[in-house]
Amino acid sequence: MPRRHPTRPPLRWLVLSLVGAGAAVVVSVSVGPIGVSPFDALRVVVDRLPGVALDHGLDPTRAAIITEVRLPRVLLASLVGSVLATAGGAYQATFRNSLADPFLLGAAAGAGLGVTVALTGAGSELGDSGTAVTAAAFVGAMVAVALTYGLGSSASERTGASLILAGVAVAALLSALQNLLLQRDDESIRDVYAWLLGRFNVAGWDEVRLLVPTAFVSLTVLVLASRRLDLLALGDDEAHSLGVDAGRLRLAVVSAATLATAAAVAVSGLIGFVGIVIPHAIRLRVGPSYRRILPLSLILGAPFLCLADLLARTLLSPAEIPIGVITAVVGAPFFLSLLRRSRVRPT
Amino acid sequence: MRPAIYATGVTVEVDGTRLVGPADLTVGVGHWVNIIGPNGAGKTTLLRAICGLQAASGRLEIAGRPLAQMTRRERSRHIGYVPQQPVMPAGMTVEQYVLLGRSPHVGTLGSEGPGDFAAVTATLQRLDLERLANRTLDTLSGGERQRANIARALAQEPRLLLLDEPTTALDIGHQQDVLELIDDQRRQLGLTVVSTMHDLTLAARYGDDVVLLAGGIAVADGPPIQVLTGPHLSTHYGAHVDVIEHAGSLVVVPIRQPAESSGASDA
Amino acid sequence: MTRMTRKTMRSAAALLAITLAFAGCGDDDTVVSAPEAVTDGSTSTSSTPEPMFPVTVTADNGEVTIPTEPTAIVSLSPSITEMLYAVGAGDQVGAVDASSDFPADAPVTELSGFRPNVEAIGALAPDLVFLARDRDDVVATLEGVGITVVLLEAPESLEDVYRQIETVAAATGHLDAGAEVAAEVESGIAALLSDVPERDEPLTYFYELTDEYNTLTSQTFIGAVLALAGLDNIADGVDPGAGSYPQLTAEYVLDTNPDVVFVAHADGSAPSADELSARPGWAELTAIVDGRVVALDPDIASRWGPRIVDLFDDVVRATAGIG
Repeated sequence: MPRRHPTRPPLRWLVLSLVGAGAAVVVSVSVGPIGVSPFDALRVVVDRLPGVALDHGLDPTRAAIITEVRLPRVLLASLVGSVLATAGGAYQATFRNSLADPFLLGAAAGAGLGVTVALTGAGSELGDSGTAVTAAAFVGAMVAVALTYGLGSSASERTGASLILAGVAVAALLSALQNLLLQRDDESIRDVYAWLLGRFNVAGWDEVRLLVPTAFVSLTVLVLASRRLDLLALGDDEAHSLGVDAGRLRLAVVSAATLATAAAVAVSGLIGFVGIVIPHAIRLRVGPSYRRILPLSLILGAPFLCLADLLARTLLSPAEIPIGVITAVVGAPFFLSLLRRSRVRPT
Repeated sequence: MRPAIYATGVTVEVDGTRLVGPADLTVGVGHWVNIIGPNGAGKTTLLRAICGLQAASGRLEIAGRPLAQMTRRERSRHIGYVPQQPVMPAGMTVEQYVLLGRSPHVGTLGSEGPGDFAAVTATLQRLDLERLANRTLDTLSGGERQRANIARALAQEPRLLLLDEPTTALDIGHQQDVLELIDDQRRQLGLTVVSTMHDLTLAARYGDDVVLLAGGIAVADGPPIQVLTGPHLSTHYGAHVDVIEHAGSLVVVPIRQPAESSGASDA
Repeated sequence: MTRMTRKTMRSAAALLAITLAFAGCGDDDTVVSAPEAVTDGSTSTSSTPEPMFPVTVTADNGEVTIPTEPTAIVSLSPSITEMLYAVGAGDQVGAVDASSDFPADAPVTELSGFRPNVEAIGALAPDLVFLARDRDDVVATLEGVGITVVLLEAPESLEDVYRQIETVAAATGHLDAGAEVAAEVESGIAALLSDVPERDEPLTYFYELTDEYNTLTSQTFIGAVLALAGLDNIADGVDPGAGSYPQLTAEYVLDTNPDVVFVAHADGSAPSADELSARPGWAELTAIVDGRVVALDPDIASRWGPRIVDLFDDVVRATAGIG
């Protein structure tokens, strides 16, 4: 008798989520200052594929904008959404805290400092600013988390609390340095803040190519680790007794999640709330098993950010709302509703 | 036949403080040993050392094999451990929880197979948890929760079952239920059981031998009648008790001191 | 078909339907283009007009070839907009950015030169785009979709300004008009400069951008212009690490006691003389006492179009009387 696996996500959900993600991409590619119907959009995209020639009836410039500007942007937003949501879920599993986010160990502060160094004073003399900023953000994020891990890991560390404390300390220090640098260079404040709030308007195929390999590797690792992450929920001791080395699992998961997060942050800036809201909302719906939460976060993080970016670039067109603002506007009410739910339920 | 546990000179030191040892312990296959002792004697630490959760020096062999040479996976297939206060994630169902116990048998990148589901179903049946299979852990009563904990450990199909204070926080009825259950499973599955116990009378009634741990050292070891004596208990627990026989087992009865010696005298 | 599969397909179909409904809302922007302009702006005496196009100009984004006369120009820089109209290309301009307010009849849109939106620009179907900043790789992106872009970044000298005027003229088919305008500006400035009196020591000035003593050095265009007018910037060399827009302290300004104070707040605010002397210590400043506070029109002071002559005019006249 075929039975439903108690912890793996039912195929039905995965399929529906994928369809939703696909729909979001199609809608996003069709909407913008140059409006096209989804069919035309699809035709333009297919025509762009090497070796294919399809008549789409759009003038070359508009078609080029769809395939060279809008499509990579939509794909990048989707990918970043996937990465942040899955990394957030992984962090929540690792630290047994359903309100953890991928910036918990200082990745955000590190990336911010890197970007500030690249954009202010002496740093701005080094090379092409676009590449320098991306590289600086990535390196900054990785260094910050490595620093946190180095400081916070202790042999007797059980719950990851010491890691979190170290993360807070590192983030505070790096933020202070960032502010110091910004104070001295007034001109760059606008640039740095634009970056801090997150944006996809510089998205091109280069950025997509940059993120895809890292995201692919990291997300695969995280999804494959999800079964063992469920064991972490029982506490390090029981996890050990069930055959899982909690310390090593934690290190592997944090590394993979941070790598992908750093890459995502490098190409799109700091986008908050995705890493907390998506996995948490999914948990409320499907239960605490990360074998469900992680794959679903991976799939559903994409349409979330893709549609958020759609709003960011259409609501005040041609001006763009920083995407961090959009996600915050969604995230804040979400938390408020969580608060209300927890009050209403009798203890 | 090699004993289920053979330990000599087991010592646990953390940050320069000796928590356990040197302790000796031998447990035969299929036996049930209760470790008793005052608070802070190192009972939990010793149990965790046997499990491999706590680094320890000395000789520690499980079923004839040195524990240190067993891989984590081998250990998890052989030893089931139920801690005193297990984390029970709210929102997880009993079935999902017990299924976690199959992890030692599932490949690193693999997933549970029909054999695993069969084992879970069998375990749930055995512990009378079938009708609770889809209930979430936070909706269970204390006794039901303890049964689920044990089910999770039994799903590992271990040879050795370690339980830390299995009866704490249970009312007397449930205490009996759980201990009967453990005994039952022990006989059915041929398990070896080592548990730490708070309640001395229960320790006497259930299990074959008792080990009295005080200051990290096993000061007495043997059948209950040898270990649970007035002098032993007063020396190591600092308690005033009478040990009496009743219905084939021992009962430890606390005695109150006469009034004069506890109050201030007038003179 | 099992119940599960049918349910999945129904949900998928519903999602698809919503998708199509949503996407149907995308609207087509109307293509903006200017009416056909008269191409001949040349004053050559030959009987056949020389072909103006294709023409290749040198800009800050390299060599740019404009294949035919542009009729749907988009300018995202107020300075370049002024140049376009000055050389007679106004009829060819289809859209300008939100801050291009001169001349008043330029077709202003909400486009931003600070945060260029490639899609919005592309939606206007321009055949030539002028930019003064290459932010977020916008030039490469626009060129990548086949749009001709001419990037003319902020000049560092007056020669740069003349060159830009001529470049704009050449790109739009007004080569001779460009040379004329550039010559006019040059001679206008030369005339003004000749009015600058000989001084034993150059006058010192403080150029105020904000209330918090943000200023610019003579490494900036305006600073270079003021240097030409015989003025020394008190901010030069004070904080080399801070770039061209450092922040000074009140003590420093009071200490150096500049002869002139230029007020050109970016936000357009212009504190009155009373407000300025109310600042601690300012009442004793020579510039305040002698009334040497010059309010510059921020639009003129931050741009480098043909109206640069007006800037020179303001500055020279304001400082002429000072010994």
